Amino acid sequence: MKNRNLPSGTRDEFGVRAEMKENITAKLFDLFKQRGFSKLTTPILEYADVFKPLNLTNYRPYQLLDEQGEALVLRPDLTLPVARVMSTTGVELPAKWYYSGDVFRVKKQLSGSYNQLTQAGIELVGYASLKGEWECLKIALEGVRAAGIDDWTLELSDARFVNDVLAALPIPEPTKNALKQALFAKDLSRYKQLCKPLADTAFEPFLNEWPWLFGDFDKVIQVVDTLPEITALVPVITNLKQTAGFIRTQTPEQAVFLDLSIPSPQSYYTGMAFQGYTQNSSDYLFSGGRYDELLTSFQQVKEPAVGLAFDTDALVDRMPEPASTEQSLIYFEADQWQLAETTLNKTPNSTFCLADSLEEAKRIAISTNRKLIDLTEGR
Amino acid sequence: MTIKIALTKGRVEEQVLPLLEASGIDCSGVRNKGRRLIFNEDPNFQIILVKGPDVLTYLNNSSVHIGIVGSDILAEQNNPQYAMLDMGVGKCRFVLASTRDFNPQQVRRKIIATKYPSITKRYFQSIGEDVEIIKIEGSVELAPLIGLADAIVDITETGTTLKENDLHVYAELQPVSTKLVVNRLAVKQYRPEIKTFISNLQEAQKTLGV
Repeated sequence: MKNRNLPSGTRDEFGVRAEMKENITAKLFDLFKQRGFSKLTTPILEYADVFKPLNLTNYRPYQLLDEQGEALVLRPDLTLPVARVMSTTGVELPAKWYYSGDVFRVKKQLSGSYNQLTQAGIELVGYASLKGEWECLKIALEGVRAAGIDDWTLELSDARFVNDVLAALPIPEPTKNALKQALFAKDLSRYKQLCKPLADTAFEPFLNEWPWLFGDFDKVIQVVDTLPEITALVPVITNLKQTAGFIRTQTPEQAVFLDLSIPSPQSYYTGMAFQGYTQNSSDYLFSGGRYDELLTSFQQVKEPAVGLAFDTDALVDRMPEPASTEQSLIYFEADQWQLAETTLNKTPNSTFCLADSLEEAKRIAISTNRKLIDLTEGR
Repeated sequence: MTIKIALTKGRVEEQVLPLLEASGIDCSGVRNKGRRLIFNEDPNFQIILVKGPDVLTYLNNSSVHIGIVGSDILAEQNNPQYAMLDMGVGKCRFVLASTRDFNPQQVRRKIIATKYPSITKRYFQSIGEDVEIIKIEGSVELAPLIGLADAIVDITETGTTLKENDLHVYAELQPVSTKLVVNRLAVKQYRPEIKTFISNLQEAQKTLGV
């Protein structure tokens, strides 16, 4: 019998944590709605094929079969189902969606990881302008603020940067691929070896710093400026600079970092990407970016798309716990219900004590550490 | 800011300590550890001693920022973190070994005993062969001698244990060495500290000639 155990990788949520999660989800929903996004809910069960474009690195999906023997999965991602809806329902573009729900990712057993994660996010489909990225970033800034988290880092990157630089390097294609792999794995020993043929070229100062090309926005740009001119990079860097400027006007105190040494989060990313983290977090607070290739696994025509997903669990982990307030317990006789109702409404953090006797009510008040309001007094 | 390091205890620890010391870290506690497992002698670094496979568990949960562990374990566990530096110590290799009468060309589904099923699976996939893998926890050399398996995939440094058991090397798989592995987020959160630590280690490697 397993009726008293949880399957590995799952957890119950109750009490303060469950309330904090509900609160932040409600605040995010308010934010999305206030900015004119519409709700989109997709099922937890989907055909496995929907998630083919996902690069599953450290997990696999929970899988089962339908009556016809087709592979179904518990959704491991929330963005691809939105793309499926977009390309199959004839929704007019541009469209602005918001969603929230759980994703399921089976990770290594007995490793302390959870397999059910809550996300809340937005998708903007049909806007090619940089304003799309900025709208997502504005929501990221507001969302993290709503969670009461200050002192966090916003990191920008761009899916095009690494490929554009590699394309300009005077080395054979297989070496470029090997260099890219070593760069992405931050395998410094191998990277250094592969860079040897480029010593004494104009690229050398940049290449020496490339695996460490992340951190303060302006410092990273200074290193990029040592590169010989690469025409394809001009719009990429201009967009990044304008975006950093935008964030600084919106929230001058916000730390803006740039990472130009990482792969894009998924293969369908085509432009800018952004993530947020705190000094102590073990997961990103949110992640998003431009993915104009998103719809191409469902249809022939490309549509510009940009989106953002908050990791609700990561937000809750970093949120300050609400200060404990005095809780009250209202004890009354059945015929005093109306009076009790009035008391409940005017007393913050109060709840009915539904016990049969005052004695029992007193016992509950002591054991739950609540102040007892006795409406039967003097009866 | 304290950087937390999980160091594989045992042989890796012995080989890596001189490098850590030469890079300026106070390892006096680890040198005279008694039964302790956590060492705070250096104000900038906390070192914990753990078993190899646990290094990645600590790293993946962000309980430590840096791990020092053999590449055999990284390959077996599909390491998702950054293996940034080859420490230049703990060098050995994976081999396919068996008794003299083993014929690698024989047409049959071979039975391979190993402590490293993932590496074994990947190797045979790469040469287009499907094999039956039996997971063994130790003294893998016994398997072909006792008739449990046709051959073994195991780590060897000098080949002495293989020779003593009259086992012959039929193929060389990947080389193994000790790696410095950094948590993906920690490298961003502690960029200056980790960058300095790595460049100090690289200097120490040059000084000690490893």
